Amino acid sequence: MKGIADSMGAPEQAGWHAQLQLGFARAGARTVLCERAHHGPLRVQRAFYPEADGSCQVILLHPPGGLVGGDQLQIELTLGGGAHALITTPGACKLYRSAGAMAKQTQRLQVAAGGCIEWLPQEVIAFAGTHTELLTRAELTGDARFLGWEIVCLGRPASGERFTHGTLRQRLELWRDQQPLFLERAVYVGGNVALQAAWGLAGEPVVGTFLCTAPGLQALELAPLAREALKSPLTVTAGELVSASCIGDVLVARYLGPSTERARACFTNLWVALRPQLLGLTAVVPRIWRT
Amino acid sequence: MTTNLIITTVTNTHMSIASPMSQSAQPTAQLPAWTASLLRLVSPGLPIGGYAYSKGLEHAVHAGWVRDEASAREWILGLLEHAIGQLDAPVLLRVHDALQAHDASGAVRWNAILRAHRESEELALEDAQIGAALRRLLGTLQVVSEDDELTRVELSYVAAFAWAAVRWQIPRLAALEGYLWATLESQTSAAVRLLPLGQSAGQRVLSAGLLRLPPVIERASQLTDADIGAVAPRFAMGSALHETQYSRLFRS
Repeated sequence: MKGIADSMGAPEQAGWHAQLQLGFARAGARTVLCERAHHGPLRVQRAFYPEADGSCQVILLHPPGGLVGGDQLQIELTLGGGAHALITTPGACKLYRSAGAMAKQTQRLQVAAGGCIEWLPQEVIAFAGTHTELLTRAELTGDARFLGWEIVCLGRPASGERFTHGTLRQRLELWRDQQPLFLERAVYVGGNVALQAAWGLAGEPVVGTFLCTAPGLQALELAPLAREALKSPLTVTAGELVSASCIGDVLVARYLGPSTERARACFTNLWVALRPQLLGLTAVVPRIWRT
Repeated sequence: MTTNLIITTVTNTHMSIASPMSQSAQPTAQLPAWTASLLRLVSPGLPIGGYAYSKGLEHAVHAGWVRDEASAREWILGLLEHAIGQLDAPVLLRVHDALQAHDASGAVRWNAILRAHRESEELALEDAQIGAALRRLLGTLQVVSEDDELTRVELSYVAAFAWAAVRWQIPRLAALEGYLWATLESQTSAAVRLLPLGQSAGQRVLSAGLLRLPPVIERASQLTDADIGAVAPRFAMGSALHETQYSRLFRS
């Protein structure tokens, strides 16, 4: 999805204040989209049922295709007991240059006991000069499960743009029963030493975190499987790195390298490998990823 | 540092028993009463096993990311400023403040937040194992009692350190400086063993680190709750990759 401001940075404006609230419930064998309310340019189409088990796929649409300074987007998803939904987006989310106003996108995913959410958005592309805050927070209850990822590209390497100025603050949080399970806060400041440092991004523009959690995950000893799955799409290039580690019941995998496409390939492969183990289901790749 | 103001109110029985320095030397006007306790708490000789962990530095050396004095200095000081200074440091101050105010549940909450920030299994284990060792030691010394709320949770080293500091009446910023120094020294010692690096080169890294401590402490003490935490991708990944490294001297 191409925003009009793609090449020039969007003009400064008051910014969109958009909200989207979706509720999912288990009805018999199926998960239904039982509540949907929106304000401003955030939408969903109908729920898709590409899988035999009754879980649903939903595509979040944000027609502007990105955020400019002053934008405030709020997405709230609530999954009732036993509901299972896979959420994705039709394209990258672009964070445009801003003259100074902050843009903010908040995503809150509440999952009741027995529920499962797969949060598989396409990448975020942070243009040089953006000022954006992103928060993704999953609040799980009881034995709810989460699989998901966030992929960020700093600058636009394809057109030679490096992240020389601007700020992106990003939080990724997993909570279970009001207790913090996994918290990650990244701050990318254009030109900061962290972007080049050996301990930081080492000059690579693309960084991604994949998380999944389920009660009893630790006992499954998934780290070796995860490492294999992450590596197989890679041809070894200098600087490209993948890793996986299980911290208690949270599996965290990371990608650092030159390409969002490869980050997605690694994480998709990992998702395909983990899904039968964690959900007892084979992965059905959303059709929108192939378009 | 402005923390010396507290000296006059210190009446610490643990310290007078525990620190030979305060008995053998005449107390001078310059050294606060808690000084020896802080030296004890940050000593590599404290039996909590800190020497066994490298925080992923062993993988960084294996991968060639750290290969000489300059790159070791950048790795150690960079993480001190951008990772530890942004996470461990402000949480240590908050746990210290909570315990000082007899708010055990506040301390427990910050401990949980810090534990959830650990980037890999080995970093989480390192923190929990050193935290447990320090807590046991404090119990043995009867500095803390078993019925305290903090003994019911898995403690981060940072929280255990803050707990010891509060019981030994070490002021918050002095405790933080001590924690950062202990981390700097432990990382430098790991680099000296791993690269290997000469002892003089190690001392130069420490000198450079000492210059960084005041700004790191100042920044940490100004951070708001929302500013806490900073992921350093290759540090996090290096630590995860260390788990499967073939030949290892260190446990992290």
